[in-house]
Amino acid sequence: MKFTALKWISAVMILSVLVMCFAACGADTAEKTWKVGATGPLTGDASSYGISVKNGAQLAIDEINKAGGLEGYNFSFDMKDDQATADQAGSGYDTLYEAGMQVSIGSVTSGSCQAFGTKAAKDNLFFITPSASAQAVIETGTNAFRICFGDPDQGTLAAQQIKKDNYTNVGCIYDNSDPYSSGIFDAFKTEMEKQSMTFKVQTFDSENNKDFSSAVEALKDCDIIFCPFYYTEASLVAKACVAKGVNAVLFGCDGFDGINAMFTEADHITNKILYITPFDVNSTESKSAAFVAAYKAKYGADPDQFAADGYDAVYVIYTAMKAAGVKDINIKPSDLCNAIKGVILDKSFSYSGVTGTMTWDESGACTKTPIIVDLTK
Amino acid sequence: MSFTTIIDGLSLGAIYALIALGYTMVYGIAKMLNFAHGDIIMVGAYAIYSTLLLLDLPVLAIAVAVVVCIALGVVVEKLAYRPLRGASPLAVLITAIGVSYFLQSVAQLIFGAKSLPVSVMEPNTIHLGDFMTISVSTIITLAVGSAIMVGLTVFIKKSRIGRAMIAVSEDRSAAQLMGVNVNLIITLTFAIGSALAAVASLFYLMQIPSTSPTLGSMPGIKAFTAAVIGGIGSVPGAMLGGILLGLVEKICLSIEVIAPYTTAIEFSLLVLILMVRPTGILGKQIKEKV
Amino acid sequence: MKKTKLKELYKLKTYSNYILLAAALIVFTVLELSGGLRRSHAHLMAVIGFSVILAVSLNLVVGFLGELSLGHAGFMCVGAYIGGLLAKQLTASMGNQTLALIISMIAGGLAAALFGFIVGLPALRLKGDYLAIVTLAFGEIVRNLFKNLPWFGGAMGLSTESYGTKLFIIAFIVAIIMIALMQNLIHSKHGRAITAIRDNEIAARAMGINVTFYKLFVFVFAAFFAGIAGVIYSAYATPVLYSYFSFNYSIEILVMVVLGGMGSITGSILAAALISVLNFVLQSNLSGDLAALKYLVYALILMFVVIFGNAPALKPIRDKLNLHNLKVKIFALFRKKQDPDVVLSDSAGWDAIPTKIPMDSVLSTDVVPSESSTLSPDPRKEDSTDGK
Repeated sequence: MKFTALKWISAVMILSVLVMCFAACGADTAEKTWKVGATGPLTGDASSYGISVKNGAQLAIDEINKAGGLEGYNFSFDMKDDQATADQAGSGYDTLYEAGMQVSIGSVTSGSCQAFGTKAAKDNLFFITPSASAQAVIETGTNAFRICFGDPDQGTLAAQQIKKDNYTNVGCIYDNSDPYSSGIFDAFKTEMEKQSMTFKVQTFDSENNKDFSSAVEALKDCDIIFCPFYYTEASLVAKACVAKGVNAVLFGCDGFDGINAMFTEADHITNKILYITPFDVNSTESKSAAFVAAYKAKYGADPDQFAADGYDAVYVIYTAMKAAGVKDINIKPSDLCNAIKGVILDKSFSYSGVTGTMTWDESGACTKTPIIVDLTK
Repeated sequence: MSFTTIIDGLSLGAIYALIALGYTMVYGIAKMLNFAHGDIIMVGAYAIYSTLLLLDLPVLAIAVAVVVCIALGVVVEKLAYRPLRGASPLAVLITAIGVSYFLQSVAQLIFGAKSLPVSVMEPNTIHLGDFMTISVSTIITLAVGSAIMVGLTVFIKKSRIGRAMIAVSEDRSAAQLMGVNVNLIITLTFAIGSALAAVASLFYLMQIPSTSPTLGSMPGIKAFTAAVIGGIGSVPGAMLGGILLGLVEKICLSIEVIAPYTTAIEFSLLVLILMVRPTGILGKQIKEKV
Repeated sequence: MKKTKLKELYKLKTYSNYILLAAALIVFTVLELSGGLRRSHAHLMAVIGFSVILAVSLNLVVGFLGELSLGHAGFMCVGAYIGGLLAKQLTASMGNQTLALIISMIAGGLAAALFGFIVGLPALRLKGDYLAIVTLAFGEIVRNLFKNLPWFGGAMGLSTESYGTKLFIIAFIVAIIMIALMQNLIHSKHGRAITAIRDNEIAARAMGINVTFYKLFVFVFAAFFAGIAGVIYSAYATPVLYSYFSFNYSIEILVMVVLGGMGSITGSILAAALISVLNFVLQSNLSGDLAALKYLVYALILMFVVIFGNAPALKPIRDKLNLHNLKVKIFALFRKKQDPDVVLSDSAGWDAIPTKIPMDSVLSTDVVPSESSTLSPDPRKEDSTDGK
């Protein structure tokens, strides 16, 4: 057995963690704040979603603090990187909880948020996720809430819309590696079968393959293609349609928001693009417009639906805390959770944010009215 | 399975083949698995993106991408791989992975994590009869890809440098004794591999017009697979492997029932081929000496 | 007198791995039971536990058998899905989570072992990098299958029963059992057969060693324990997502083995702990806007350590910093003063002199006497097994 410099380093590292383990316990931060925590993918394939949520939430925090915070205390926000994995969301939760997190906006992606929620349920820590739309997320506990639509709702809604508009040649592409996409697709399929309508299906796997030419080729006879996935891939589908000369309507869900920024003049997109969304970046409604302007000023880019959801999530927590009359800065997460829940489960409570007017029920699901945005130029 | 599927497959195969050429040349000559090769494509894609932002000239963009990729390839070789020459191949492999992580995070820091749209050329299609549509980018990919592959083969077979490369790959110390500057040849190999990656990034963007920091990892692994299918270290093998893999991928994707299993099928193909021919289709059989 | 002391010293070295793990286990168990251990550190310990199992089992394939495997996460994936599913069913029907976890660890391990056997078959025919790509391919195939098969939750992942903070106790006990099995294996005639295959397969075959049997055996053994690590992972993180077991994770396990030194069990244990701790420290300290720096820092540390530890040009500096040399010097000091029995007649302290110098200068070719070792079976390699 040989000892190398590396083993020195590792021994020192492990020792230092042991020291940290004991030293950090007694440490107390100087300034007292209301601590909001979250985890999300900040590196890796899904990082653009996590970064959007983080930016949106941070913007809301900054605005609240500028307006004086709550009870004279500022809010602080910390998002740990979970790379959209369950285990890192779990360890991120532990770190945040030990650092004094009192309330949370959960995780960004469904798988991570399920892990986050499983742990939060044990501590009865209130969280309201901006974007983890899978049903399993709000089933983790009575403390779990969400801002976005649930996956099944969107799929059902899309199928009904297609039926209503009398399309007969229906195609669908979905991402079989993504919970969001598969979740919507399953509900869509069920509803279509219920309506006794047939449709063609193509799958892709965003991890391995982002080339949509074969999928579009297979669906070239369709009048409408349902695309339950995010705008990055959706913009590629639109471009593949142009390349293949397919002129079907592209119909998507809230993930489509932001697709406009992915097109340039040179792309010559002629397809009609429709999507169901609670948030429209081009909205003239004053609250949304103010948010879009503030976001643009701070980050130099248009906010997407993730940023809007993150922004709303923080404001919902703030509004509920204010309404509940929370005063004690050292309040335990569990007490805070009960206080917030008492407010937002009240029948008369609703919050009007940039993603519409929302109410919540016991399940944690959010009710709001979707609008259908038409991007045709 | 239609004729269009096959054309699409060939064009994807040409992209894989170009990337696989980089893998196979570096492996053949420097005897290392350069896992950062996929990320060179990513850097090329960002170079094209940045140039197109300033000037809308695709030809200039590809020139800039080639220069940037060559510079990057050479610098990475000098700083990260050359100090490890003579050390264990595994150490070099781990360093290559470090380089790969490094490039990805630098790209994320500079350009952000969001996918950025890149329009290299206007999408034009050619209609052949009623049943077939081929996009112009596919034709360009196929034509330029084949030209590069033929050119590279001729270069390696006929030119002085090319023969020096073969010599280094056969026996490094003997080549050195015969007056070949081994360091220069290895640097040149990296330069050529990176230039091919830059061209591949252009074709990739013509097929899939967006860039992100992790763009290179999956094409990188697929191309590596292609290189091994063809016989790693063999230039015609890399082309054959790339085109075979591209075709299989597109055909699998076009059949609805097996489409979700495409990755599994591609990699199973690799395993099957290696079971029959342990060094790939065109790889040299390794003779063992006692 | 002198003989017994040396024998004791040898024993101590053999048991150093157990002592290392058992000490950590006891200290942290006491902390956990007394409530003094933070939750995040208890979970970090569980991560260290399954990382140690993964790294040490991969070391058997890479370091002792000399075959590069890039698909170790694939075996883990098999264990995590099958064991996780079983553990959930068993916990529901039996009510005792620990027992359910132990049974599913064995089942998950056996399932992974079966896959190990399947991967071991091409290993009989393929060499070096070709085998490496087959293992990589295997990892991707497994992942793709588990994602698409109907019983494992698809893209949503498999919801499993999470075990809580005491999971690390189980993980460490498994690690100690595995290392005990492995050390006994390595120091037996079978272990010598395995290292003989690494050093020269043809010579080993000529000596009558059943190469087929041993290669398959090593793959099955390593896969079995990687499967168990997977089951522990499934009790640690819920839901089990197929994306976790990607090629990148296989590489991370390989990094642990290479950093720790191939063929060194202690090295693998330390490196697995180091990488897990590093990931944890980076994740908890670089949050928000700084998160993008995480991989940058990780990459720089990785490159620095590998280049520093392996570059032929830096060997003189390495030798100066070498802990082994330092230890020898310190021991020599002590021996002179306190224990004249152990000091050999040469009062200059013969063991302080690096005896390898003449051999190295004789071998003037490009052979680098490496601390780690080479990938391909290199007959000139002198660094054999751990603890010898």
